[in-house]
Amino acid sequence: MAEMVRKASAFEIFNHWVLAISCLLLALSGYGFLFKIEGITNLFGGANMMKDIHNYLGIVFSVSLFLSIFNWLKDALSFDSDDIKWIACAGGYLSKHPRVPPMGKLNTGQKFYYLALLVFGIAIAVSGFVIWLMPGQRDYVLLSHLVHNISFVVIMIAVPVHIYLATIANPGTFRIMVYGTVPYKWALKRHPKWIQELQRSK
Amino acid sequence: MARKALLISPELCIGCRACQVACKSWNQLPAEKTTNKGTYENPSDLTPTLYNRIRYVEVPSQENPVRWLFVSQRCMHCDDAGCMKICPAPGALYKTPEGIVSFNQEKCIGCKLCIAGCPFDVPRYNQKEKIAKCNLCEDRVREGMPPACAKTCPTGSITYGDRDALIASSKKAGFEKLYGQMDLGGLGVLYAFKETPRLYGLNENPRIPESIVFWHNVLKPLSYIGLGGVVAASVLHYLLIGPHKEQEEV
Amino acid sequence: MTNHWVDLKNSDVILIMGGNPAANHPVSFKWIMKAKERGAKMIVVDPRFTQSAAKADVYAQIRSGTDIAFLGGMIKYIIDNNLYFREYVVNYTDAPFLVNDDFKMPGELDGLFSGYDEKTRKYDKATWTFQLDEKGLPKRDNTLKDPRCVFQLLKKHYSRYTLDKVSAVTGTPKEKLIEVYKLYGSTGKPNRVGTELYAMGWTQHTVGTQNIRAMAIIQLLLGNIGMPGGGMNALRGESNVQGSTDYGLLFHILPGYNPTPTASLVNLQAYIDKFTPKTKEPRSVNWLSNRPKYITSYLKALYGDKATKSNDFCYSYLPKLDEGMNASWLNLFDSMYKGKFEGFFAWGQNPACSGANANKTRKALARLKWMVNVNLWENETSTFWKGPGMDPKEIQTEVFLLPCAASFEKEGSITNSSRLAQWRYKAVEPLGKAMPDAEIINELYFRVKRLYQKEGGKFPEPIIHLTWNYGEKDKDGKIKHIDIHAVAKEINGYYLEDIYDTKVTPPKLIGKKGELINGFPNLQADGTTSCGNWLYCGSYAHVDGKVVNKLAKRGKDDPTGLGLYPNWAWSWPLNRKIIYNRASVDQKGNPWDPNRPLLKWNPTKENPATGKPGMWEGDVPDGPAPPLADEKAGKLPFIMKPLGVASLFGPGLADGPFPEHYEPLECPLQENPFSKKHRINPTIKLFYSKEGGLPEDIFLSCDVRYPYVCSTYRVTEHWQTGVMTRHTPWLLELQPQVFVEISRELAAEKNIKNGDKVIVSSARGKIWAIANVTDRLKPIKVMNSTIHQVGLPYHYGWKFPVDGSGGDSANILTPTIGDPNTMIPESKAFMVNIEKA
Repeated sequence: MAEMVRKASAFEIFNHWVLAISCLLLALSGYGFLFKIEGITNLFGGANMMKDIHNYLGIVFSVSLFLSIFNWLKDALSFDSDDIKWIACAGGYLSKHPRVPPMGKLNTGQKFYYLALLVFGIAIAVSGFVIWLMPGQRDYVLLSHLVHNISFVVIMIAVPVHIYLATIANPGTFRIMVYGTVPYKWALKRHPKWIQELQRSK
Repeated sequence: MARKALLISPELCIGCRACQVACKSWNQLPAEKTTNKGTYENPSDLTPTLYNRIRYVEVPSQENPVRWLFVSQRCMHCDDAGCMKICPAPGALYKTPEGIVSFNQEKCIGCKLCIAGCPFDVPRYNQKEKIAKCNLCEDRVREGMPPACAKTCPTGSITYGDRDALIASSKKAGFEKLYGQMDLGGLGVLYAFKETPRLYGLNENPRIPESIVFWHNVLKPLSYIGLGGVVAASVLHYLLIGPHKEQEEV
Repeated sequence: MTNHWVDLKNSDVILIMGGNPAANHPVSFKWIMKAKERGAKMIVVDPRFTQSAAKADVYAQIRSGTDIAFLGGMIKYIIDNNLYFREYVVNYTDAPFLVNDDFKMPGELDGLFSGYDEKTRKYDKATWTFQLDEKGLPKRDNTLKDPRCVFQLLKKHYSRYTLDKVSAVTGTPKEKLIEVYKLYGSTGKPNRVGTELYAMGWTQHTVGTQNIRAMAIIQLLLGNIGMPGGGMNALRGESNVQGSTDYGLLFHILPGYNPTPTASLVNLQAYIDKFTPKTKEPRSVNWLSNRPKYITSYLKALYGDKATKSNDFCYSYLPKLDEGMNASWLNLFDSMYKGKFEGFFAWGQNPACSGANANKTRKALARLKWMVNVNLWENETSTFWKGPGMDPKEIQTEVFLLPCAASFEKEGSITNSSRLAQWRYKAVEPLGKAMPDAEIINELYFRVKRLYQKEGGKFPEPIIHLTWNYGEKDKDGKIKHIDIHAVAKEINGYYLEDIYDTKVTPPKLIGKKGELINGFPNLQADGTTSCGNWLYCGSYAHVDGKVVNKLAKRGKDDPTGLGLYPNWAWSWPLNRKIIYNRASVDQKGNPWDPNRPLLKWNPTKENPATGKPGMWEGDVPDGPAPPLADEKAGKLPFIMKPLGVASLFGPGLADGPFPEHYEPLECPLQENPFSKKHRINPTIKLFYSKEGGLPEDIFLSCDVRYPYVCSTYRVTEHWQTGVMTRHTPWLLELQPQVFVEISRELAAEKNIKNGDKVIVSSARGKIWAIANVTDRLKPIKVMNSTIHQVGLPYHYGWKFPVDGSGGDSANILTPTIGDPNTMIPESKAFMVNIEKA
């Protein structure tokens, strides 16, 4: 039996799915609004219902995002020269036999993903609230509308990448958000500096 | 179907406001309690129950104590309508075959984005948070009748007809170019001004806000191109390079 | 109107003075704009820059109450610059007639004409006559040079109205006067025509009638009367007030403008002798010589078979005025105030707001024993005891409110300013128990009749002998429902017997017994015809054997292209669209302006009526007679005047044959600049003077406490005292409160900001109003001092809106004073003060 190490707590798993599902529903309804797709509004029970769902899901998303940001802040915002080397080799994703520098709990790509969600997640949330709660105030609404949609573009690029890389592109990753644990050997290969830390703290 | 339009000739307007009342009468809109704010203008802005109104504008004059202009304020029924562009609710704002920008309150979600999109500050919201604005008497027009305001105007300051015909007849009457002839794809409400529109309180160059244009032309396509591109790239990557499997330790 | 609404499009110059049609008759502007499309010019003369002024080519500011000065200056300009239409003036007016040598004018008598009695404040008109020749016709000088001819006297009288004087009195700059005079004077050419549009801005003055006379003189000098695009066009202030005067709703006239008899006219012959004008002029039609036919037919309509030759056709049943009695509005309410009335029917009116000096009126109502108000809503009159300043405990009046139907809740006709009577249909049922006025009258009539029949009384015959065949009767003899068509038919009139024209052989049948008469020329003076109102005879008639309600016709054809629309409804008289149209042609019968051929004499075309060659084409001519060139049968154009020509010299009026400027009762000047001794019209009845008078009737002129000239007017959105329109939310929303328009300069002086509440006060009362500070009013220079003018609409009343937010009637400010001919109150010029509230 392989030795397992815990990479994600129960709370982190729960919060991740709250964030992910709310994000996907927000995106779906977002597309429905963006392109006025009746097929989508019908799914939600009409445009009025979809708006309410979108708005309240926005709260859920925002709270979950807020918690996520704080949760991963330390791990995500510590950069060193290994991160630069990781970028230089494109994280190894451009080669069948990737050779990447040693990574911490979150690899560089994951740190960038965090950054993207930090910036554009907050942006999309705040701008969303302005559109919802300050209707008719032209200047604020116009700016927020722009920010909301720019953020949407970015997020709709970042999220599929995240899903790909967290599932089929990196076998063994997905279980983190199901069981919360990974094989020790796998972690040693992928996140050696994290394992070192764990051992140091023991 | 030829595009229909209203032609408004402020020169012929006598400020009688039959158009304001005819609109309310046809659309069965209630009156508001108002006060006299020092002018004949009342109500002092478009409201969810006031789809058109006359503004009384006093401007300086050379030979008279003043020049008193009477200008109709209402939805312009733009071809490239900013409200429709930004509206997220399918069917809430729609164009009729005649070119009217009309609304469906049941489909409106009350987000009020259209207020930001309209260059003329037209959309208003009622107590149920639903949009209300001039719909050029869509139901009358459908039956071949003119909108109520045009029908009632005693001097012909508001006339209704085929857009091209109205433009042609104004040209004959000496109006080289009408306000709204080309703007925003051509407005459905044209004004015959002999002077600058600014005198009448209208923007010389009405435009949909730049951010909306950018959003519509760039961001919208990007939002599916980006997604699609990334999905495609992922598929490609998986096929060409494949997943990052852990190699067995030798 | 002498002309009609659509005719405005035919004009070359439209003068709007004394009215504001853009606001108050907006549909008229459809036709004015059409005239402008043709290149016509529009002039507006008004104390305010109004909506009409906003569309005008020329605007001239004027001090309210100085119209005669303005127009007098125009008369002088026209004469001095030879702009008058000489052929027209010489042949169609009394300009060449020589006036009595003893006749003197204000230039010689410091403001008076000859014959003034200071004690009675009346003129003895013995000198206001023409010199007569041996035939009994006025002596004349067709060269217009004789110093005693009307033309020269006119010239002399207005020689005092120099540009400098007029400018100083009116406040209008000289250049502006010249601009207006020149433009309007340009219509003196035969192929140019000008029209004048006026309303209460001219009539509601102590010189109101003379205001209009002055313009009539101008129109006659320029040859504009009878012409398409010309005329004197009164813009009536209410959609059916033309109808109401046509039907004699004023004390001094019976239906058809037949005068009300006075008590001294003891029999029908006396009435006929007094009121049937005679003439020695063989070429004058003198149409009112037909008066006997009209009064007799009227009596037959009223009393039917009961009216016979032997009982003077029941002439004795007609109510009579005491000699010299003037029962006009101001006098009525004065008497009411003095307790002389027991009861009062305020029928379709709101006197608490509509009459001048509203406070006095409201107090007068409190002196009544009972009052019946017939109206659509409760209003300031029907609930007067709840009004401001009223103590119900002190008031004993028993008030009945009878709810009545609005115009679209009943069928009938309405006659507009154009004399056009249009049939209207019932659109909806009246609410609740409201009834059309006709039904209310029917109820009243039946009950009064029954009371007389049961209890007897003093002289019941005038009531119980009335014909009242307006529909099916119930078992008690009461008409179940008034058939308005039966009323219209009775108005039109019936042949009561077969009538023949005995002047031809064999005698020709004119009309069969029982048929509806197709025109008043067929009315008879011997009791063989009935007609409720001769003006409307022919409106609902037998035509080729079929009964035609001409008021309901809706034909859209316009054969002359001048907008006559002869088959759309029906105008009186006889569907003539422009009256005095015989003045639109020369003596041969050819139109002065071939481009606007209203009438043309076709000498060869066979006249179907006479079978002989020669008939008029175009509008219904003012009588079928051939043009003047026909020495035997030709007739003069002004068929209603005994001498056949129009009057520049008007001795029929109380205050003078020529209009003279007098200041309004309350004005900003100590003296009349034209005559030192007579500041105000010397013939007006003063309700208040040094000798006494009710404190309510006080007036203060040139008083520092009330330094601003005030006028009252109307807005598009409200109507009369606003009872209907204040209750119409869509209209109240547009104009919710009483406002006062003041100039920026005055606002700065009094520290008033736009939108502030202010108090407007006069010697008689005060009201609050919202200040509308505007550039449309400007201070003017009058006799070297700066005068401020202000104005407010009179549509509001304390009763509704119930929170009082609308304000009260501007008539609380207006004075108890009226024109000496009509007694219309002077609501257009009085003095007020304004302070911030």
